[in-house]
Amino acid sequence: MRLAPLIAIEIAAFLLIIGETYFFFIIVVPLGPIPHSLGEYTGYALLKVALTVGLGVLWFLVMIGMTRAYVRSKLRSPTPTPSS
Amino acid sequence: MVTGFEAGLLALSFLVPFLLLVFGFPPYLRLLTRLGRVSEDVHKTPTTKVPEPAGPMLFAGALAGEFLVAVGLNSWVPIAIMLGAGVAFVVGLWDDLYVLGGKTKPLLLLLAGLVFVGFILFKPNLYDPVLSFPILGDTSAHFTIYTVLAVVAFPVVANAFNMMDAFNGEISWFTLLTSIALLVGVTLHDVTTAGFSLARVGATLPLVAVAGAFLLFNRFPAKAFDGDSGSLMFGGMFAGLAITGGVEIAAMIAILPAILNSFYTLSSVRGFVERRRMPSRPTYIGKDGLLYASSEAEAPTTIVRLVLLGGPLSEKDLVKNIIALTGVAVLLSMVISVLTWVF
Repeated sequence: MRLAPLIAIEIAAFLLIIGETYFFFIIVVPLGPIPHSLGEYTGYALLKVALTVGLGVLWFLVMIGMTRAYVRSKLRSPTPTPSS
Repeated sequence: MVTGFEAGLLALSFLVPFLLLVFGFPPYLRLLTRLGRVSEDVHKTPTTKVPEPAGPMLFAGALAGEFLVAVGLNSWVPIAIMLGAGVAFVVGLWDDLYVLGGKTKPLLLLLAGLVFVGFILFKPNLYDPVLSFPILGDTSAHFTIYTVLAVVAFPVVANAFNMMDAFNGEISWFTLLTSIALLVGVTLHDVTTAGFSLARVGATLPLVAVAGAFLLFNRFPAKAFDGDSGSLMFGGMFAGLAITGGVEIAAMIAILPAILNSFYTLSSVRGFVERRRMPSRPTYIGKDGLLYASSEAEAPTTIVRLVLLGGPLSEKDLVKNIIALTGVAVLLSMVISVLTWVF
């Protein structure tokens, strides 16, 4: 039971990695038609960078959110101290 | 179909490094002790002295196994893997002997990725720049982005392994379990893909053998510490095998506890900080000899600290918990491999 919340975090990380890697290689990398001008090229490049950063931020926020919720729940319960 | 010669060679690529380490470790550890190369096992009360680094012996074992596969199956794959892992080993050994800075180590580890990727100028079929997903199939080839990610994979994975090297048996169990997941993935890839080289399966066996043999000496109470030379070499080998074996997704899933551990550590200390220079430790030993999660605000968050938030544990039980978390990740990785290569 001690590991159940950490396993839940692990499974969430697993699902996000699979989903986000697929999204990155299938959607983000080949995004847009063949650019015809420098402006169009720059626009698509910036969109790809923004989407990539967005995927990273999403993973970061979900992981931090789940971990903070776990830490808060543990700190609320009585903390064991060394018997001495 | 595997011929008798190939089956024998695969068996040798496991047995030679395994036996080399089992029989080579006792005299090597006596030599380290004679030379005064011992470190304090800080999680024991009173502290004990343990020979370190075992990395050179681990590297020798892996090299012997990969050499057999390279010569026996006439393949360049093991050479490329050992070039990348070799650079990681040298960086680790330098750190063992002289201590590198928190930022210098990952930067130097980029060299491992560059050497590995540079080898494709010599052997262009070393890896396929596509990712294979379960059920959904392969992505199209993206050489540039894949190659950049392959270079970055070496410092990321090697550091992740390095951060899983804090307690007796932790790194050896972790490497053994994750390398078995890798072996399952590469074998399924080999069995289901026409023309996929058997050498990629053979190249995975020395890592399993070396991790298994090291476990005999590193398990609680540890008789040997691998040092950064060992853990970084394990990570470098793992990254190279995942890329050449075409099992990047399954490999990434297998090492999830290490990825999460790195993420927690880097986000809590805000950057690359050498562990000896961290302001405080994530855990401490109580007077009852058990390990406790540190309650100091500046202590780094690690997966070990998160486990100990559930209550104190002995070092042996703590490592059992880390093994259980790794076991879950390895099972998920095997499910991914089956869904990718069988269905």
